[in-house]
Amino acid sequence: MTHKSSTGGRVLQVDTLARVEGEGAMHVRIADGQVADVQLRIFEPPRFFEAFLRGRAWTEPPDITARICGICPVAYQMSSCLAIEDACGVAVSDEIRALRRLLYCGEWIESHALHVYLLHAPDFLGYQGAIEMARDHPTVVEQGLRLKKAGNAIMTVVGGRSIHPVNVRVGGFYRFPTGAELAALRPALLRARDDALDTATLVAGFDYPDFEQPYEYVAMRPSAGYPLEAGTVVTSSGLDFPAQRFTDHVQEEHVEHSNALHAHLADGSAYVVGPLARYSLNHDRLSPLALQAADAAGLGPVCRNPFRSIAVRAVELVYACDEALRLIDGWEGTGRPYVDVPPRAGTGHGVTEAPRGLLYHRYTLDQDGTIRDAVIVPPTSQNQPSIEADLRDYVQARLDLPHDELTRQCEQAIRNYDPCISCATHFLDLTLERS
Amino acid sequence: MTTWAETVVVFGLGNADRGDDGVGPEVAGRLAGRDLPGVRVVSPAEPVDLLDDGATADLVVVVDSVRSGRQPGSLMVRDANREPLPEWTGSGGTHALGLDAAVELLRALGRMPRQLVLVGVEAATFDAGAPLSPPVRDAVPAAVGLVLAVAGSMAGGEP
Repeated sequence: MTHKSSTGGRVLQVDTLARVEGEGAMHVRIADGQVADVQLRIFEPPRFFEAFLRGRAWTEPPDITARICGICPVAYQMSSCLAIEDACGVAVSDEIRALRRLLYCGEWIESHALHVYLLHAPDFLGYQGAIEMARDHPTVVEQGLRLKKAGNAIMTVVGGRSIHPVNVRVGGFYRFPTGAELAALRPALLRARDDALDTATLVAGFDYPDFEQPYEYVAMRPSAGYPLEAGTVVTSSGLDFPAQRFTDHVQEEHVEHSNALHAHLADGSAYVVGPLARYSLNHDRLSPLALQAADAAGLGPVCRNPFRSIAVRAVELVYACDEALRLIDGWEGTGRPYVDVPPRAGTGHGVTEAPRGLLYHRYTLDQDGTIRDAVIVPPTSQNQPSIEADLRDYVQARLDLPHDELTRQCEQAIRNYDPCISCATHFLDLTLERS
Repeated sequence: MTTWAETVVVFGLGNADRGDDGVGPEVAGRLAGRDLPGVRVVSPAEPVDLLDDGATADLVVVVDSVRSGRQPGSLMVRDANREPLPEWTGSGGTHALGLDAAVELLRALGRMPRQLVLVGVEAATFDAGAPLSPPVRDAVPAAVGLVLAVAGSMAGGEP
């Protein structure tokens, strides 16, 4: 709705920013033809998961933190396992690492398919949402649902169920799937990989705003392959550091307008995590088929247009299907499904690549494994300053657009990040105020 | 003799760790424990999973917390085949697509089950880590009974 603000300026307000996981608010103030202020406000109270964890046993974070988010529970499980294992000085077997990677592929496929098809594609095809789009493009929506189902199937077989997996434990898994159980996933994954390749072609035909940003990207980079569950943290300006040095390079601060902490690099600059960062820092690590999909989607080796994040997600869908098939084909599952993780006093750090970007966990344990301190830095709070910067620059160049259209495009710009506000506070309402 | 619909799927929606949002999984859990023939009970996190699990069923009963402004613990039944579910159904979770939207997506794709019924329980709190509030906890047996009654009446027999 449009109404006059108390200061005489004009305010355009969207009551809820639909299609973003959670609830929150974005306030844009325009004065004298200039964008004066942009604030991403997150008003759900912080979820206090870090506080829940204090006093709990070292074995509990994978189950407790998985509950932070219904879309990316595996990310929370993986980062917490790595951090606890780091604190206890334990390394897991190659088989356990491979199965973690497969489980993570399932989550990426589920999450990216949901975002690309049901949340973001309607913006590009000119629909209010997935329902309206489904009436005109049922086959496109069915394709997305089929992809998502393939991801669910991996989660069910490897994780024990499609949400909040129950088969993950500190040190590995309660049970390894059999070769036959994993092989049964192949037909759906082959179809999903074809669907993902079609997705890359579909998004290549979308109209993208001419908008590039000088982002500082931060993502993981493993010794081999595309980053999921392993690697050091690298940046576009050349930093390369392990999880243990994360808080030396990243600082969180509380800002008055948000319950989520804002993250900055040590020099105070904003940075971006997520598909664009992963892709631009690891383009050479994509599989040949995913590289082909990147070409089909019209992407170069580096992507600085946040609206093209939907194309990068399409490429990552191809990669995740491809990688899942590779892991399944190589699976033996003959070893022990977990390693013992005896507790000891100390602090451990874990980073992995959630679908929305880098997720950091840190735990400090007592000698008996009691958690004394827990720190969780989710992707959306790291991207918050950059979402605000994008909106500032995007709106400034489009002040002549009608309010409704500008508001719609701002929502689309926020969805570029697939923000999971519930994760970030551990929830959007968009206000454009003109005077 | 119990006469059930050919296929009944009960969907317990919600997050067990978010106060009264956990009423769906709680009711689903109690029904699963009864091992009813011809009835499959699932507890997905996302309403959109109806498109995977519900579309082929004759009858889908969705149990979820709702916020319509009535007394906490109040029960309600809506037939989604007759009319769209109100927007306030299924609120309180952090779902990417609400239950109302997931049902309309099913309808837009021509994949509605023969019957899709919502059994809603009015919620009081969605606080992270909170248990079910007393009025919602007290309403659980009645909600279980309502799901059984809906399933029985749709099948034309006694549950």
